[in-house]
Amino acid sequence: MIVRIDGLTKAFPVQRTWRETLAAPFTAPRTTVVDHVSFSVAEGEIFGLLGQNGAGKTTIFKMLSTLILADAGTASIAGFDVRNEGRAVRRSLAPVIANERSLYWRLSAVENLRLYATLQGLRGGDVRAEVDRTLRITGLSDTGEKMVGMFSSGMRQRLLIARALLGRPRVLLLDEPTRSLDPISARDFRNFLRETVVRAEGCTVLLATHDADEVWDLCDRVGVLERGRLLAVDETSVLRYRAGSDRFRLWLRTSDGVAAIAQAATAGLPLQRRGAAAEPGWDEFECAIPDGTEGAARALALFAAEGRAVARFERAAPSLADLIERVLATATQAGGAHA
Amino acid sequence: MRSILALMRVAWLSAISYRIGTVISLVGLLASVVPVFFISRAVQSVAAASISAEGGDYFGFVIVGLAAVLVLSSAITAIPGALAGSIGSGTFESLTVTRTSLPVILMGMSGYPLLQSLLRAVMLIGGAAVLGVDVAWRLLPVVAVIVALLIIAYGAIGLFAAALVLVFRTSGPLITAVVAGSGLLGGVYYSTAVIPGWIQSLSGIVPLTYALRSTRMLLLGGAPVSAVGGDVAILALIGAVGLALGSVAFSLALRHARAAGTLSQY
Repeated sequence: MIVRIDGLTKAFPVQRTWRETLAAPFTAPRTTVVDHVSFSVAEGEIFGLLGQNGAGKTTIFKMLSTLILADAGTASIAGFDVRNEGRAVRRSLAPVIANERSLYWRLSAVENLRLYATLQGLRGGDVRAEVDRTLRITGLSDTGEKMVGMFSSGMRQRLLIARALLGRPRVLLLDEPTRSLDPISARDFRNFLRETVVRAEGCTVLLATHDADEVWDLCDRVGVLERGRLLAVDETSVLRYRAGSDRFRLWLRTSDGVAAIAQAATAGLPLQRRGAAAEPGWDEFECAIPDGTEGAARALALFAAEGRAVARFERAAPSLADLIERVLATATQAGGAHA
Repeated sequence: MRSILALMRVAWLSAISYRIGTVISLVGLLASVVPVFFISRAVQSVAAASISAEGGDYFGFVIVGLAAVLVLSSAITAIPGALAGSIGSGTFESLTVTRTSLPVILMGMSGYPLLQSLLRAVMLIGGAAVLGVDVAWRLLPVVAVIVALLIIAYGAIGLFAAALVLVFRTSGPLITAVVAGSGLLGGVYYSTAVIPGWIQSLSGIVPLTYALRSTRMLLLGGAPVSAVGGDVAILALIGAVGLALGSVAFSLALRHARAAGTLSQY
């Protein structure tokens, strides 16, 4: 395992108003933002950390990057302890700082990369070779001499990746990398990440995001964080199935809609209309169907028996909210069973 | 060393990308010498006696004082300024996650403003020489050592200020107080010999006092190097003690910022 995290914990002081501070000047309340988090990541894996804003994703990344000291627990990158072997850790790991302001906007992309290549310990001809290589793989070779201030947001994101790839890190940390990208740029970026960064460059990627679709699309495994606690870690396909196995989306004829809802209700299927489908004459519905695939087959047979045309029938990808809700429910049930 | 040079190069490239600002700054510096020249001529006869050991020429006396203030201001603000600027601009986090150590990064980030102030100080003295000040250029290597000690002494206070920036996001009035106090007590515009007795004892703890007196004696008075040995030794002592204390303060502040999670926070 190239990344090992064991019981990592971090609490920060609570920001207080003047009144609160004066009322209790000698107390220092703290809030736990990462609470005994443990997981590990294998080499070459894309691991997603999925959670809402404030779940603790960025704090975990900053602890791995040696920017923040953990209160408890340990973490290692390629066998190096993040607390005691910071420089060795920074040789193996590169966080992609998503903040575009972290670039020198008055300088060209080449000048930016030349600086960071030198800071990564490269010298002489190696600097030029590495800058050329990272510009090429991020598709910025033609714009290398252009001032970064003239770049589009997507180009800057690519430059941030290029910067992180200098010195060939084994682990890349990406914190909401598609946050400021339009949908097409975000899709292209994901392809680039999968094909170039992971397959061609052989990097291990830890991806923090609140976008469940991004995780379903990219990650081999995923950990779900909620208020600093890691609720679940599993393969993406397994977690997706567990979280959304009973939710299906289907298209029915608009003319069949009301009758279909009534019919499904009598069969114990709470059909909900989501709105008009992409094609005229059809509406999209969502339904919770118990018993997984078997239940889905029975539901389809029911619609067929009543002569309802079903144009589309697919398992719905769970949203982040669905996922957290299901994982929490599972954890509560498991706790109850234990009790 | 290459990392320091690379950071200085980036700062230089960023600075010269503002072309008009660079030109105006240089022209302004040279233009500022002219009024000092005429005012100095007016007060030469009054000040001459008190500065006789330091060359006796009031214009040269003040120019060296102003040049020293340029350097000390830069030495004290370079590190906290670079730190606060890079935290604010967002570059600090990206620099600290590289393989280069933080002390080297700080030296690199503060190197360009320091070098710039040194060049401006040399230009100031060069401008004074053009206007007739007799400068003992042959003693410049010794003066360079004194300037290096001055930078270390005030850089140490800069480390304290940087520690405050790390912990509180501001250095408060520390820098202003030190620069203003040094200007008043260190003898920028007048010899410390004319300061009233009880304040004169305070000027004994100001590094600028020793740096200015020895620099003027060498550059303007052409004194032998042995004549400034005592001043240089005291300056070195202040620098060494200050640097040790400043480094400890900065290390503690850095540890605090990493524990509190505020190292890269705006």
